[in-house]
Amino acid sequence: MTEKTTDRVRMTGISKRYGPILSLSDVSLRIAPGEVLGLVGDNGAGKSTLSKVLSGAVVPDAGTIEIDEETVRFETPADARAAHVEMVYQDLSLCDTIDVAGNLFLGREPVRRVAGVSLLDKRRMHDDAKAMLERLGIVIADTRQKVENLSGGQRQSIAIGRAASFDPKVLIMDEPTAALAVAEVEAVLELIRTVSARGVSVILITHRLQDLFLVCDRIQVMYEGRSVAERKISETSIEEVVDLIVGRKFTARSAARGDRQEGVSA
Amino acid sequence: MSSGGTNEGALHAPAASARVRRATLRDRFMENGSVASIAIFFIVVCVLFAVVTSSFLTTPNLLNVIRQSAPLLIVAAAMTLVITTGGIDLSVGSVLALVCALSATLLQWGVPWPLVIVAMLLLGGLVGALQGFFIAYERIPAFIVTLAGLSVIRGVALLITGGYSIPIATDSPFVVLGREWFLGVPIPAWIALATILLALLVFNHTRFGRYVTGIGANSEAVRRAGVDTRRTTLMVYVLSSAAAALAGIILAGRLGSGSSNAGQGFELEVIAAVVIGGTSLFGGRGTMIGTLLGALTVAVIGNGLILAHMSPFLTPIVTGTIILVAIWLNFRLFKNASRSR
Repeated sequence: MTEKTTDRVRMTGISKRYGPILSLSDVSLRIAPGEVLGLVGDNGAGKSTLSKVLSGAVVPDAGTIEIDEETVRFETPADARAAHVEMVYQDLSLCDTIDVAGNLFLGREPVRRVAGVSLLDKRRMHDDAKAMLERLGIVIADTRQKVENLSGGQRQSIAIGRAASFDPKVLIMDEPTAALAVAEVEAVLELIRTVSARGVSVILITHRLQDLFLVCDRIQVMYEGRSVAERKISETSIEEVVDLIVGRKFTARSAARGDRQEGVSA
Repeated sequence: MSSGGTNEGALHAPAASARVRRATLRDRFMENGSVASIAIFFIVVCVLFAVVTSSFLTTPNLLNVIRQSAPLLIVAAAMTLVITTGGIDLSVGSVLALVCALSATLLQWGVPWPLVIVAMLLLGGLVGALQGFFIAYERIPAFIVTLAGLSVIRGVALLITGGYSIPIATDSPFVVLGREWFLGVPIPAWIALATILLALLVFNHTRFGRYVTGIGANSEAVRRAGVDTRRTTLMVYVLSSAAAALAGIILAGRLGSGSSNAGQGFELEVIAAVVIGGTSLFGGRGTMIGTLLGALTVAVIGNGLILAHMSPFLTPIVTGTIILVAIWLNFRLFKNASRSR
């Protein structure tokens, strides 16, 4: 699916200390254009911190970030955005009482000038929003619907669609499928495939290991602030990933079920 | 492996689309339930007074209602923006009093009237900016900041006038703003109409209006969208204080005097009009049409009770009851439309 030409992102030797806790210790991460990388690890393993470093929300103590082989330095989320790194926040990016199109265009609404006054170009906004959603295969009947009336999966799709519309090089998603119904998970995963097929590199943070096997090309496992393993998805199994996450041979029932294709649709 | 999933996704898509239908007329009515209920209320009140009194439904009386309610309409329009951001402005009555007192004082000193008007509007904006600064940038709750403002600003007005009412010469063009007519309609009514139309335009058709709603719904999302939410919040308070100043100018002109006791409880009347109109005190949901209807309802009740030879002291009782009933209706009748509010 992806050719390993040049890396879209290369993070090298990233370290971050919060007081006595070394949250990230010499972590490296790379991702190719259009690749979907699953970032997994137990709570506190450092995956969120690592994603925050890449999205500019956390400034690391050490380490370098390269995007398209150019060294960058992110001091704020705005810096990361300027470098086309977008982060999809769980439920922080939508306004409930504004309609779908309004949310997709929040902060960059198209305007038309009428007698020297800038007014919202609502028709264009709805037309563009409809086209945008169609392109991404997101099913929303009416872009005039308020976001509060949508299901969790539709809301998540809007949030992802919004991030994807900024023409990102890298899209970071933190638990996009948490608390969604089965069909909705499927729709969100499909959306991730659509986005990555357009050449966007996706970093997917999730606790739902079945999802990884459905969309990821590769996974990277974090353990206590270190990056401990990297596997091509075709060369690993849920059992191995669970073992890597907990750091020992793990035989709980949640680790059972080897057949990864049917893991999620059951 | 992702090819297998593509099929699966397609299978799921029709199911998902069937779950959401296009908004029907009923949906739209329910969604605007708060406006619908106040519209019904307004019509009922008007019909009632038209039947009970002979003079209610006459042109002079209706124009008189609008003239008298102009300050309320003007400030309520701006207050709708404030409340939609999830804030509140308790200081508008005091700003109105300060402007009444100060404009009368300045006119007495011989300051030219156009200069007085400009200065008062600027003063209003400045007061709003100061309060907005503490609310938006220092993150002190709007209730606290404007409660302090209510006290301080009224105090300043009292200090300036020494508690006395200051007369404005009746030949001053300043009085025209409050008393004269233009094309058969009182000038205050024209000003109120212009303010409402402007507010309607700003609220529903500009980015600023969009962000006002957004801040009330999820300020963090708006901030992350790259909008300067603090400046937007500050601007909302600038507008509400400037509107209060404009209302003060009109009131001083109409009464022909400036009193530091003007507008006692005005802020509550304004908030009542906005809330009756269906704007949510929790923010994120505002309606300018609702505010217009809410303010007119409050005004009509006051006027109608007097025409019906009832005690004017009934007005606050009826207004209060209507606030409760209107909100209760919104909660009950339109619960599904507006969720948790």
